[in-house]
Amino acid sequence: MRIESKDQFDALRTEAKKLEDSHKRKILVCCGTGCLATGAKEVAESFAKEIEERGLDVEVGLGVKSTGCHGFCERGPLVVFQPEGLLYTKVQAKRVPEIIEKTILGEELIPGLLYKNPADNERIPAYEEIPFYKNQVRVAMRNIGRIDPTDLMDAIAHDAYTGVAKALFEMTPDEVLDEVEVSGQRGRGGAGFYTARKWRSCKAAPGDRRFVLCNGDEGDPGAFKDRSIMEGDPHSVLEGMIIGACALGAHEGFIYVRDEYPLAVVNLQVAIVEARKLGLLGENIMGSGFDFDIQISRGGGAFVCGESSALMRSLAGKTGEPRAKYVHSTEKGLFDLPTVLNNVETWAGIGAIIHHGGAWFAAMGTKKSKGTKAFSLVGKVKNTGLIELPMGTTLRHIIFDIGGGVLKDRPFKAVQTGGPSGGCIPEDLLDLPVDYEKLTEAGSMMGSGGMIVMDDRTCMVDVARYFLGFLTEESCGKCTPCREGLKQMLAIYDALIEGRGREGDIEKIEALANGMQLGSLCELGKSAPNPVLSTLKYFRSEYEAHIRDRACPAGICRELTAFEIMDDCDGCHVCFKACPTEAIEGTIKELHVIHQDLCISCGACLDVCPTDSIRTLPKIELASREVV
Amino acid sequence: MAEQPCVDLSKTEEILASYPHEEPSLIQVLQDVHRAYNYLPCDVLVRVAMVLDVPLAKVFSVSTFYKAFSLEPQGDTIIKVCTGTACHIRGAGQLVEELERKLGIGADETTEDLKFTVKTVNCVGACAMAPVMIVGEKYWGSAKPARMSKYLAEGGHDEN
Amino acid sequence: MPTLRVNGRKVTVEEDVYLLEACRAAGAEVPTLCNFDGLEPWGGCRLCVVDMSLAKWDDDWFKMVTACNHPVEEGMTVITDSERVLATRRVVLDLLLARCPETPLIQQLAREQGIEETSYELNPEPTDCILCGLCTRVCDHIGVSAIASTDRGWGREIAPPFNEPPPDCIGCLACAEICPTDHIKFTNSNIRRTIWGKEFEMLRDPKTGEAVITRAQAEHFAARSGVPKSYFETSDKSKRLELAKTFEKLQVVK
Repeated sequence: MRIESKDQFDALRTEAKKLEDSHKRKILVCCGTGCLATGAKEVAESFAKEIEERGLDVEVGLGVKSTGCHGFCERGPLVVFQPEGLLYTKVQAKRVPEIIEKTILGEELIPGLLYKNPADNERIPAYEEIPFYKNQVRVAMRNIGRIDPTDLMDAIAHDAYTGVAKALFEMTPDEVLDEVEVSGQRGRGGAGFYTARKWRSCKAAPGDRRFVLCNGDEGDPGAFKDRSIMEGDPHSVLEGMIIGACALGAHEGFIYVRDEYPLAVVNLQVAIVEARKLGLLGENIMGSGFDFDIQISRGGGAFVCGESSALMRSLAGKTGEPRAKYVHSTEKGLFDLPTVLNNVETWAGIGAIIHHGGAWFAAMGTKKSKGTKAFSLVGKVKNTGLIELPMGTTLRHIIFDIGGGVLKDRPFKAVQTGGPSGGCIPEDLLDLPVDYEKLTEAGSMMGSGGMIVMDDRTCMVDVARYFLGFLTEESCGKCTPCREGLKQMLAIYDALIEGRGREGDIEKIEALANGMQLGSLCELGKSAPNPVLSTLKYFRSEYEAHIRDRACPAGICRELTAFEIMDDCDGCHVCFKACPTEAIEGTIKELHVIHQDLCISCGACLDVCPTDSIRTLPKIELASREVV
Repeated sequence: MAEQPCVDLSKTEEILASYPHEEPSLIQVLQDVHRAYNYLPCDVLVRVAMVLDVPLAKVFSVSTFYKAFSLEPQGDTIIKVCTGTACHIRGAGQLVEELERKLGIGADETTEDLKFTVKTVNCVGACAMAPVMIVGEKYWGSAKPARMSKYLAEGGHDEN
Repeated sequence: MPTLRVNGRKVTVEEDVYLLEACRAAGAEVPTLCNFDGLEPWGGCRLCVVDMSLAKWDDDWFKMVTACNHPVEEGMTVITDSERVLATRRVVLDLLLARCPETPLIQQLAREQGIEETSYELNPEPTDCILCGLCTRVCDHIGVSAIASTDRGWGREIAPPFNEPPPDCIGCLACAEICPTDHIKFTNSNIRRTIWGKEFEMLRDPKTGEAVITRAQAEHFAARSGVPKSYFETSDKSKRLELAKTFEKLQVVK
């Protein structure tokens, strides 16, 4: 059947909601990439099998859904039971029969599967009470974890396409633009450009043919919010694009998905096919007379293709070389035609903005950064995962209240935001409210929302070097400052981490950084010096230690660091098993010792030692000790 | 180009038939080709250039620009070690080193028996499970070098 | 006809030109490497950067842009020799000198900016190729596209497909001639021409016997223009002599 009118859509929506409510009991199994990696598929299949075998479907009205990413990946596989809102973590397929017996039929909790709060070791059964979820305000991610991403009716029951119906039948294209402007939404891909402004400048460009694009390239290492949205609620992306197309008078759209996200491609494709079948995409959407269709284009494995002009070249079948920005892509973009390109999260928010109104969105956030933002909180933090919060939430709240603090309670050192274009924010800035302006002022940027927490076992020189290494591989090579500059900057950093740093290196880095910022063609090269300059700003002493003392204070740089086992060692033998080069000698219950000639300074022993009996020291200190 | 084995071009024709014959289809065609042959054979690239009406030099340019593509035959099982930031600080480097010890090959290299190729890849978006390793289709989260034998065994590696 | 200020000097230029032309009209020296009149500007070398302020911006708010491909605008202010422009140019040349330490053009340009030796790590395999893209751009312009860039980042190189003699090359030598550093090598004789590892048969002028053009190039031009191939085989000199003969009152002096 195809929807041919708004009334028909409303009727279908009512029916979908009724169907959804008819399931008295629902079991939601997270099947995002993270949980799939730990066996979620088997869990979902096991539930489905048990329910069928026991004939429970008829009696209790259970529904089992494979949903998208809940975000709490480290505790996966995650299963949520409705209507009670119970969460079980680390569920394995073999425990499913027990869960059915005890929890579904017996209404009993299994304590071992409940979430344990690391702050006080208390077990929390209710999903809504867990700090990780309690503090979130989900707009772009509103349906992820609640719906089966491959089930269109499920999405409709959760308000998908209500924004489309409203935009097509109750608003003019200009009213849609106005509503987006009222919301104050800014692009969620990193640059933070006002969405309405971008749309208006495209609308003003002359021509009959224009495009609406979705940037699903999410190249920032450490960010996976777009993946979760594309996998977990693909209809939210389609809906946003349809509304945008309607406002702009565009009839063709593309979603550019990076090659590394195969599940996202699959789920988006399923969503497109289903939407077309129902008349929600393609010709004569909902009988409104408006035509708009979407195709998926897979990336080829290039971070630079997240840059808008490079993305458009890639869509045209060419190499991902950016071009000068003097010609705006809103006037001359894909195939030199007017184009609007927005990020996945931006599109996902549009449906909600039209459905609830721009003012609703603008009521959240700060003065200049309205609404909510998705963050991927990862690294040395206890609760790693995906969260969405109002703009203006402080870093401290995110990392310590929601994130549960630093892994193993080690000292906090910095949080890196904004990916390779961003910077590191130190402890004394933790009360910074997160928004576009504040992060930029601190020398970092919002980027796509990656937040990588670092502890004292992180060397900031190594972090900068990591990003340089990443960007060197990703530079397209068109312009001199980026192509040559990154290589030379990397060479200086390799020297620093290997103990070959010299006085004057910092000044050399700063001069080259300036040249790259001013001279590079695109933001990849221009912002490449950010991690460098930000770590220099806040952690200059670490650089100086590498140069003057041939020491790595964090004990990470292998050429500079030696490891030794201290007297507190109780001979538990754990380090022995962890050592990849068999450099540790010792019998159980006896003091162990590291043979320096075999040790490669990888740190695996220190990472696993349960009694903190292994410490690092500069290699030269060890050497001078031996001389004496 | 001289040393490549003959390939069955019928697969290429099937792929080409499902896309418009113009330049914008190039990258999608190459991805399907790569999936079908496990690499991009020269003869196929020549045929693709002809059918899509794209200069061969540009087809080669695109094939070498994007890291999803290999112009050399790859192993039956691709092992990908994610080197995203979260994975990096949680020890991705150690995984790569352990793979080198176990398989004798480094990143972007293939074992002589063509069974495995090791690749370092950009963030796969499973950062909460860092470090992440993918052996074939199977994702291993919170991967540890000490468990490498297990990961490889499930991927079909025979240590003897 | 927009009017702008370059280094304090007022110039008026045509509507759709780029800053580079305005700078030259104002007598300001802006060095370029990847620019070539007649080809679309590319903006890759970044040597031609200048500081630019739009009329509607604050007087002290400048943006650094490449002069070769930035359009002029009424009331624009341009500075081609500010501290940071010169510093950026120096970084660009310093980096190129590290890449191409033995290339005379780069040595000269660097010397003009006060750089005798590079501050950076020397390229272990010095090359003359500065990756300005002129060769591939002119090849595209002619409608041949025999060569293109391969790989990316620091490994980027200009090469024919599969690093083998390019099937589409017509041996016209445009790439070799446009290359600012003479990086592209070729051999040329009355009978044969070789470039990119490909051999070309030369067609000789029927009257004078001198090599004029490769067969492949003649065929390419003939196919594109509809003009018979024989036209291209005749050398320009022969054509001029033939034409001169048609001027009755002229005496041809040999």
